[in-house]
Amino acid sequence: MKVKAHKVNPGKTEGEAMVHEGAFSFLGDFDLVTGDCLIRTPELDGKNMTGKVLVCTTGRGSSRGPVSAYRAGKNGKNPAAIICLEAEPVLVVSAIVGKVPMVDKPEKNPFEVIKTGDWVKVDADNGIIEITKK
Amino acid sequence: MFISDEEKKMLNGEEGPGIQRSIQMLVTLAEAFDADRLSIAKRVHIHCAVPYDMLVELTEGAKQSKAYATTHAHFDPNALDPEGCKRIGIPEVYDNYEYIHAGMPPSKLEEIYRRLGYFLTYTCTPFFIGNIAAQGEVISYGGTSGSVIANSLYGAYGNRDSIPVNVATSVTGRFPHAGYAVKENRYAQVLIEPEGLDFNNFTNQDYGAYAYYAGGVAQNKVLAFNEFPESLTLEQFRFIASPLTALGSVGLCHVIGITPEAPSLEVAFGSRKPQITAKVGKAEVKQAMDLLNTADSDDVDLVTFGCPHCSIIEIRDIAMLLEGKKASSNVRLLIGVAKAIYDLAEQMGYVDIIKKAGGVFTSCCVGSQNPFNLLGPDLRVRTAAVDSVRAAHYMSRNSLDKIKICYGNTDQCVDAAITGKWRAK
Repeated sequence: MKVKAHKVNPGKTEGEAMVHEGAFSFLGDFDLVTGDCLIRTPELDGKNMTGKVLVCTTGRGSSRGPVSAYRAGKNGKNPAAIICLEAEPVLVVSAIVGKVPMVDKPEKNPFEVIKTGDWVKVDADNGIIEITKK
Repeated sequence: MFISDEEKKMLNGEEGPGIQRSIQMLVTLAEAFDADRLSIAKRVHIHCAVPYDMLVELTEGAKQSKAYATTHAHFDPNALDPEGCKRIGIPEVYDNYEYIHAGMPPSKLEEIYRRLGYFLTYTCTPFFIGNIAAQGEVISYGGTSGSVIANSLYGAYGNRDSIPVNVATSVTGRFPHAGYAVKENRYAQVLIEPEGLDFNNFTNQDYGAYAYYAGGVAQNKVLAFNEFPESLTLEQFRFIASPLTALGSVGLCHVIGITPEAPSLEVAFGSRKPQITAKVGKAEVKQAMDLLNTADSDDVDLVTFGCPHCSIIEIRDIAMLLEGKKASSNVRLLIGVAKAIYDLAEQMGYVDIIKKAGGVFTSCCVGSQNPFNLLGPDLRVRTAAVDSVRAAHYMSRNSLDKIKICYGNTDQCVDAAITGKWRAK
């Protein structure tokens, strides 16, 4: 299935989806050394985010989030891409300095059409998400 | 998006690779929010948690900051008062951000700061040391409490900014024309009204708890406080503004009848109705106080003032309360302040009084990055008395609840420093 979205940070990439129906920060919700997720929900706790396509609602938390994303990016630990409902400046700058392609405002509710484990291609340049069900 | 000729030159790399990377980041950010153009930015406050290698990348080839630039709280708590810090157990080499700078010492970052003409103010209160924005001036301030105060009290046009943007804005003199840099987005959305409270008898502690609750209600929306007294001072305003970014992520607040964009409710809300109206009474203030007070013992080991950094008036108040007295030998008394304010306090004799009483000064962060958040458990620091909501909130969280908090007024905290006991009810 293809879904149109709005370009936030350019780039093309693909990976397995990791769905978090909440806000996300690279500081506090993410271990910059290991790439592990620190969100304490049964579905996400301790799962590795490196190379995954993160689906979330928006950004949250400290203005130091981008510092964490930058360091993790240098160590190759960042997610492959971010799809969110509504971009927020700190998360956008995290994506820019962490070199993570990002889109927002998908035309279909991503929490309905994407499930954790689905294979997702993100073409941020052209604003297209392509979902292959698991 | 409109790009000016000067900005095109920056994008083409004519002003060097650092400025090229910086303006590219700002253009990407601006486009992400469908901005029509970049704004001219005049002031920045550089957060010292900018990683060394990021700082090099974003400033490579840049000569001088295009915006008036000051630096945020120091990385090294020892910089202002090394003897005092040693006495209370802070290691000689202690860089809050060492892991972020990939092992680079503060002096290597300072070399770049100096080259770019960043004034080494090392404080979270840029407005106390001359970095004061005029109404409508576009800014990029590191440190959320300084940013919300500049936006709200001075009417500066700044966003909830992140660290790379502070640097990129300084070398390009540009900022996305989006968010709170656009007047339309600055109208209040949430109205906070008191219920059965007498502000004439309100202390800083009450204001802080009131605002802590309000920040939780407003989350990331623009907030307006109604019915605050006309006599509200800058000191009091700081106790109101600095908690707003703790439970919530409020970037801008208006105080009806006091702050520049809020001469009346109608003007503050742009003639629109509030999306949320919340009444805050005694129960809500108490609820906030209970969240902040986590102490399970009356024995105080640490008393911290200066989150955000103390004003000269606060230093004077603390000195007057401590004059001729001594802090308990069981208590570490740590005061966060900018060096420029420290120098004035020294000239006034306040530093002498406070040091004689056992007080120690630092220009590092004493809230979220308080050195005792990490050092505390090893030094048997279990309970801290603070007069700041922000310090209470972040010291509790960033020490993973290993430091328990007594939250109160300045005089109650000074009393705890002298007696080693929390005696406020």
